[in-house]
Amino acid sequence: MLTKDLLRYKTQNGQILPQFVNPADNRLLGIAEQLIAVFEESPAKPRATLLESSKHIIDSTPGTPIVKRGLEKLLLDRTEFDTTPNEELIAFRQKLFTETSRLLSQETFENYADYQGKVLAESQPEVDPTDGADLTAKLYADLPSNQQVLTFKTLSAEHLLHRYNTAQVQGLLLHSNSLTLKLVDAMTAELRQLFKYLRFNQLLSTIRKAEERYQITVDGPLNLFYKTKRYGMNLANFFVAVLHQPKWELTAEIQFRNTRWRLSLDESCGIKPISQQFLAYIPEDIQLFQTMLGNKTDDWQIRPGSQFLPLPGDLYCFPDYQLVHKSGVETAIELFHPWHQGHLIARLNTLAEQKHVSLILGVSKALEKKPLIADALAASAYFSQFGFTFREVPTIRTLLPILNALV
Amino acid sequence: METPLKIDFDKGTLILQNVPETLETRLPDLRWDERTLTFRAPAYRYRHIVSQLRAHDIVYQDTARQFTVEAFTHQHPMSPYPYQTEAIDAWHANGKRGVVSLPTGAGKTFIAILLIADTQRPTLVHVPTIDLMQQWYTVLKEHFGQEVGLYGGGYHELKDLTVTTYQSAVMHAPYYGNRFGFVIFDECHHLPSDQYQYAAISSIAPFRLGLTATPERTDGKESRLYTLIGEPCYEAKVQELSGKTLSEYRVVTIAVEMEDTERVRYEEARRTYLNFLKQERINMGTPRGWHYFLWKASQTEEGRAVFKAYLAQKQLSFASTTKQEWVWKLIQRHRGDRILIFTQDNDTAYQLGMRFFLPVLTHQTKLKERNDFLNRFRDGTYSILVTSKVLNEGVDVPEANVGIIVSGSGSVREHVQRLGRILRKREGKQAVLYELISKQTGEHYVNKRRRQHHAYQSSNRTPNRKV
Repeated sequence: MLTKDLLRYKTQNGQILPQFVNPADNRLLGIAEQLIAVFEESPAKPRATLLESSKHIIDSTPGTPIVKRGLEKLLLDRTEFDTTPNEELIAFRQKLFTETSRLLSQETFENYADYQGKVLAESQPEVDPTDGADLTAKLYADLPSNQQVLTFKTLSAEHLLHRYNTAQVQGLLLHSNSLTLKLVDAMTAELRQLFKYLRFNQLLSTIRKAEERYQITVDGPLNLFYKTKRYGMNLANFFVAVLHQPKWELTAEIQFRNTRWRLSLDESCGIKPISQQFLAYIPEDIQLFQTMLGNKTDDWQIRPGSQFLPLPGDLYCFPDYQLVHKSGVETAIELFHPWHQGHLIARLNTLAEQKHVSLILGVSKALEKKPLIADALAASAYFSQFGFTFREVPTIRTLLPILNALV
Repeated sequence: METPLKIDFDKGTLILQNVPETLETRLPDLRWDERTLTFRAPAYRYRHIVSQLRAHDIVYQDTARQFTVEAFTHQHPMSPYPYQTEAIDAWHANGKRGVVSLPTGAGKTFIAILLIADTQRPTLVHVPTIDLMQQWYTVLKEHFGQEVGLYGGGYHELKDLTVTTYQSAVMHAPYYGNRFGFVIFDECHHLPSDQYQYAAISSIAPFRLGLTATPERTDGKESRLYTLIGEPCYEAKVQELSGKTLSEYRVVTIAVEMEDTERVRYEEARRTYLNFLKQERINMGTPRGWHYFLWKASQTEEGRAVFKAYLAQKQLSFASTTKQEWVWKLIQRHRGDRILIFTQDNDTAYQLGMRFFLPVLTHQTKLKERNDFLNRFRDGTYSILVTSKVLNEGVDVPEANVGIIVSGSGSVREHVQRLGRILRKREGKQAVLYELISKQTGEHYVNKRRRQHHAYQSSNRTPNRKV
């Protein structure tokens, strides 16, 4: 991500407008290629050498320095340096400092040169006793500027420019307290990825439908009390999944430099997704579930959750699995893991008065152990009829009776 | 039978169910959460909420609290100084909450240890640095003779006594914030920052203690400190303890002339920097001045040159050749003493370390070598340590009796903290803090302002103050 000083934006009428680069700009693509080449050649070189080479490109090419330094920062984020301690050097320092401490505590010197001479004499054979610069260079040779590059994860110049534009938005979202996303014509696989990101980032969401669009408000538990940037990093990470949606509108309030700004973006910003999307990929848990179900019955087919499910109170959820019986009866399963306590309480409250089942609830045993949850589950007539518990993954043995009762 | 009110902990907040309507407006910070269809409150309100429920004789089921009474036994019982007893009594009288302000070296950690034993609740200690985390770990283990957990700096182990960094607590308190009944915030002036405050907000601990030498913040956010930890309950200043529980000390300011060539370079760089401020109408005296300068300077080639000039003039005033000569003189003058040399930045620290062949302790020093440096300084194998800011706070080096400030941020807090490093009492110890100030530079004026602080004033003793 980009640090605050590397963000480019304009502000007008309460809006904050990230200043994107044009990923098709040949001149900028050329500079990006030069920087990438320097980083590709960097393994086994010290950090200082790498930075000197990239600085040379930044200083000698046309264009805004802040953009080029931003590109450099993103490339540094993909670079791994050798930070393992240099034991030999540490031992050398220990020996030297014990000696210099003794000299400085117990002996007197005519002048600094006298002291330096004695230190040099004592530091043989590790350094040349006639060369003070040799000792100086060796003493802290393991500082970060001397750390060697181990690996660099390369990428194309165009991808780097898209990453740069993404990082401009993420850098602002770090200073946001919540965001609102409107989705039109959402495709199922992309949506599933979006909700995975949402849950992975420990965020809370409220899904409503307005004017044929799903409006998802994303924030964290403490947002109820504070305009906090506590979840800014989670929201910035979540933005990566937004880019996979075909049509989207995002709004967020950015608290930046003591002022509140509104960030509004949609898919027309042209940023290409920077993360991989495995649309055809069927997650392992689903595959396992499919196999287990197939071994027990041919009546039900299972597939990953692929659409919003309406709930009472104008709310929606996005289930993990959808199941279809050969008779055409459909149902869905939503799973609750140990970190979904708040979500589960909400779901139980929402479904408390429900008579017609639309959703089966799976609750992990670890979550069930929590006294509040155990009580809530015991008191829920809905859960007793349409719920089950599981250890690692749901088992067909517990699920099938609930499914069969639906047909 | 009516379903009882239920309280549970959820990611740094409290979830309340079955709240009677009559109570909805009476419980502090209780809000209806549409996202989860429950009532919710910040976790730190736990004590207030439970007190209200008890006051109204409301039956409730509490599954939030995941701690019980724990006995912590002193392995080496020690008697507190009278002012430490006063501080402990003041904290108890304040409802087992509050901020204790004592100078560095006055035994704040010891007060905390006595209160852990008194309070008998699983305790989480928050510290700002890894070094302090290690130090608290050692002290708690020694005093209570039991395993101590560490959370942060690569450690993820929770025990009934655990030490964590503020940074780690912000991340993880939403998950363990209901496991501790007593939370201690060392160097608690850090807590009111935008992010760190959530370490306190996300915890239900009813008992809270803040420890600091200087609670005041330049942004005035100390009031937030008192909301989250409790009101200030005890304060004693450095002159009040000097000579009794702290060493006698003196502060010596040495005005240093720059060499002619350096003076010319300084003046030129300073002029470039000041002209840019004038041209761009940047007022560095305002809170946003610095950020605006950084932003403006990053926009153009000229700006970047100005930024380099800014760094050059700063560097010249921080680490002129004459300052280095003075360091050499002072090292010679204090042969046999234990000396800490402080600098504003790592570059200067390493510059001095390489010139005089001395151990340098910065954030770049790996943990193992960092501990080795501190241990060897404490046992006298090393008589001098050079450091930038790592030792500003908390880390205990009682053997140090001479401090040399080569350069600093200019803040009163930093100065008082650095002074505190050399004040811990030792028989016959006379502490001396040297400040090397470049004449006719920005440093000179900053120092003048700083000298208004009470640590510089004559030691007219005033009685310890309960506040």
